[in-house]
Amino acid sequence: MIFRYLEVFSIIMFFICIFGLITCNNIVKSIIFALMMQTAVIMFWLTIGRGSIPPIIDNTALLDNTSYIADPLPQALMLTAIIIGISVTAVIITMLNTLFRKHLMTDWKAMEKAEDEAFKESLYGDHLKD
Amino acid sequence: MEINALFILWIISGLFIVFESRLYRIIIYFGIFSLISSVVYLFLGAPDVAMAEAGISAFTTVFFIIFVGKYYGNQTNITREKIEINQFFRKLKGITLPFVFCAGLFALYIYTMPDTAASTYLKEWYLSNFISDVGGKNAVTAILLAYRVYDTLFEALILVVSVVAVVHMSHFSDSSVSDGHHSEIENSGMAVFTLRIICPIIVLFGGYLVVNGHISAGGGFQGGLAVATFFICRYMVYNIYDISVKRVMQLEELIFLSIILLSIIAVFLGAAALLPTAYLPMFQRAYLILMNVFIGLKVACGFFILFYRYIAFERR
Amino acid sequence: MLTFFVIVPVLIAVLLYMLSTHKVAKFIAVFFQSALAVFAFFLVLSIHSEELTIFVGTYDDVMGIILYADALAAAFVLLTTFIFLLVSIYTLNQKESRTFWFLLFLLEAALIGLFFTRDLFNVFVLAEVSTVVIAVLLMYDRGKRSMFFGMVFLMLSVIAMQFYLLGLGYVYMMTGAMDMAYVAERITNMTRSELALPYALIMTTIGFKCALVPFFSWTPKVRVYPQAPTAVMAILSGLQIKSAIYLLLRFQGIFGVGASSELFLIIGIAAGLFGAFMAICQTDIRMILAYHTISQVGLIIIGINSGSYYSYIGGMYHIVSHAMFKTTLFLSAGIIVHSYGTGDAYKIRGVLKRMPLVAIGSIAAVLGITGAPLFIGSISKYFIAYDVPPLLNAATIIISLGTIISFIKYSYIFFGDSDLVGDIPVAERSRTIPTLILGVICLIGGVFGIWFIEFLFHTKVSISLIGYIQKSLIFAASVLAGLFIYKRFVKGNAFLVRFGAINFGFKAVCFSMSAFFAVILITVAFL
Repeated sequence: MIFRYLEVFSIIMFFICIFGLITCNNIVKSIIFALMMQTAVIMFWLTIGRGSIPPIIDNTALLDNTSYIADPLPQALMLTAIIIGISVTAVIITMLNTLFRKHLMTDWKAMEKAEDEAFKESLYGDHLKD
Repeated sequence: MEINALFILWIISGLFIVFESRLYRIIIYFGIFSLISSVVYLFLGAPDVAMAEAGISAFTTVFFIIFVGKYYGNQTNITREKIEINQFFRKLKGITLPFVFCAGLFALYIYTMPDTAASTYLKEWYLSNFISDVGGKNAVTAILLAYRVYDTLFEALILVVSVVAVVHMSHFSDSSVSDGHHSEIENSGMAVFTLRIICPIIVLFGGYLVVNGHISAGGGFQGGLAVATFFICRYMVYNIYDISVKRVMQLEELIFLSIILLSIIAVFLGAAALLPTAYLPMFQRAYLILMNVFIGLKVACGFFILFYRYIAFERR
Repeated sequence: MLTFFVIVPVLIAVLLYMLSTHKVAKFIAVFFQSALAVFAFFLVLSIHSEELTIFVGTYDDVMGIILYADALAAAFVLLTTFIFLLVSIYTLNQKESRTFWFLLFLLEAALIGLFFTRDLFNVFVLAEVSTVVIAVLLMYDRGKRSMFFGMVFLMLSVIAMQFYLLGLGYVYMMTGAMDMAYVAERITNMTRSELALPYALIMTTIGFKCALVPFFSWTPKVRVYPQAPTAVMAILSGLQIKSAIYLLLRFQGIFGVGASSELFLIIGIAAGLFGAFMAICQTDIRMILAYHTISQVGLIIIGINSGSYYSYIGGMYHIVSHAMFKTTLFLSAGIIVHSYGTGDAYKIRGVLKRMPLVAIGSIAAVLGITGAPLFIGSISKYFIAYDVPPLLNAATIIISLGTIISFIKYSYIFFGDSDLVGDIPVAERSRTIPTLILGVICLIGGVFGIWFIEFLFHTKVSISLIGYIQKSLIFAASVLAGLFIYKRFVKGNAFLVRFGAINFGFKAVCFSMSAFFAVILITVAFL
């Protein structure tokens, strides 16, 4: 059995992030946890394809033993994933900004309460009032 | 062995974020976390990703710091959470259940982890063929710009979408900020002095990364980020918005179109096959450099808009 | 060729965004969309003779990205292009800016790309593109919107996507490839417990995207956020959720032994019952429709997981029919809400008198969704319950009963009289016609259902007259029972309304996401 212990670190981080997402009470902190979760996944991918030599082949003699060279495919994929992550995060932070302007808070509970009331008011109207 | 130490540091920095409730500190810890992760990436043999992560984390940290600055500025009656010892234990009681849940999930996960050796089929193939197929020396760039250029197109697209979205959402009357508006806030003299010296070096570095992306670590994206950092520094030094966001957006879309067209001509339609073999290496090198330059410019434009829009929206 | 199905909409989108704010641009957009629909039609025709496999670029093996079109993908693409065409005709006369059209085209490109791609990482990229585009489209209306729902939707999707990416890491580690066919080939000689982890991780994401039971409350809410444009709501309910079901189908095909269809049957039944019950509790017409999406998704999942071939075909056809009637209903609901200024199902009355054409299209769709004989829903529901065990059959009948009850509530809006006046007194022609066309298709798709199935999925099926009459009788009985239950229990029941307004917060959904993951993992690995 091959126990791949370096991967376990990124798995631990992944679950720490889930724990953080379940417990934390602040929207900024939640966004940071989502980013950290992504970092953990990226770390996992890079640990799968790790190697002591980066996949930059200056000298074709390196190719005789490829087991020391890192796998280029996970790196390329993770570059893509990083860019996607930052693009989405930029949109999320902008949305948070407009929300902050309206409510002046970054608290999940208070924000959800305020927004839910407005939502119910517009969709259920007077059906919810007795 | 040093990699284990780095990983443990990484985990600890993550735990610091979980158990901290003051926002400024969380963001500083997040910066530390990103720094450690980018160092670990380097140790795992991924300099390109490490560079990208470093650039990205610089951006996100600045975004968050500006946001939290507003948070502390606007909320006058904020109660600073001072965690005393018995309060800490009370807090601990509340998080026991989620903790047990996550620990159970983790145990389940480890127990069911498949113990397969990583398959190296694709790796061997890429490493032995990319030099003749695509050219250059950097396998990562070769994959990004040739084998999986279809993915790269969508990755470029998502940046365009996010720029359009941010501009659409942070809508305000442009007149007050866009035309050479001077912010009242003065930056510290020391920072300005240092940035003045650093700025040209950053641009040089970014340009180097872009142009040499195909033969060394780096590439369009990392270089573009560095160039975009220059604009941030410029803003910090002069405190001025004198570049029209609209023009830059048009430029970005133009560059995006040329990225699509270039990749259609060179990769999708396989223009290289029509060339005589003697010209092939030159064509390949031209394609890689041109593509990297385009992507670099596009990323620089995109992040420039994101940052300017954000700052302008914040400080209006 | 398949590449250009995806690249051309992107090019058009960017060009339109750059070049014009002129009105002609919209017509050019509609022209290109109809061209795409025509091409998709010919694609479906050509798939009859052979399946298409296209290598993107000149690298002809699993090294590059492979696009692939079989009957399933081609049918989905035809559906996508057709509905996008009708939706853009619907929005033609509205004052939507170029940003809207830009995002609409990108969404179309991303969805088409999702249906064609055979590369697992490409699925991630395209799903992220479509998520961001949707979140922005939902919050499109700048004046009145609140960002909160869009933000939470986006954050949850980002978190869900991380599960997918992690599972993909395992797939890559175990098989060394990103190509679906190649992965499936390598996976065949692995054991179920070995595959449990990547399967559970990937299914968590797909379950979230399909709005299955633990995630029920966000998706309808995000979908029906009152200020979201109607066209977007229609596309979301009609199409975007289908892309998730398509991925579910594909992944269950890939994982083969690892796939747990029994668990998904249970989840499907739960989703169907729960969605139908929540729909009964709603008072807003758009909210009723949104919760129905969940119950119909449950039916589809029952169909594709029950193991019998006829059920599978029924599930597939129900995807098509659901896209048709749900789009019709959302588009007409948009017109109705505009016209009356409210979405309250108890207040709107007399749609038939005020807007007869819209009402006719809408009624056809209602008959379709409830599974009335001769309409599109009856065919797909007939096949779903064709040869399933009696317990499943009972479940589908109960789900249908729930659908009928809430649509009895919905149908009251067509009759009677009301003097509510909103933004527009009568509907414009550009908005009425797409609704009417879709309504007519709801009828045609029922009458010529067998031919439709043969055209789209290349299988010959037949309907036995006795069985169909039996189903029709069950339908008639359900309508009577539904009327009774509605009059007796549902109407004016305050408790139900309060129950319907229930929802989960962000943290609860994060928790249920990980719990869902744990349940799938335990079921697949140990049971």
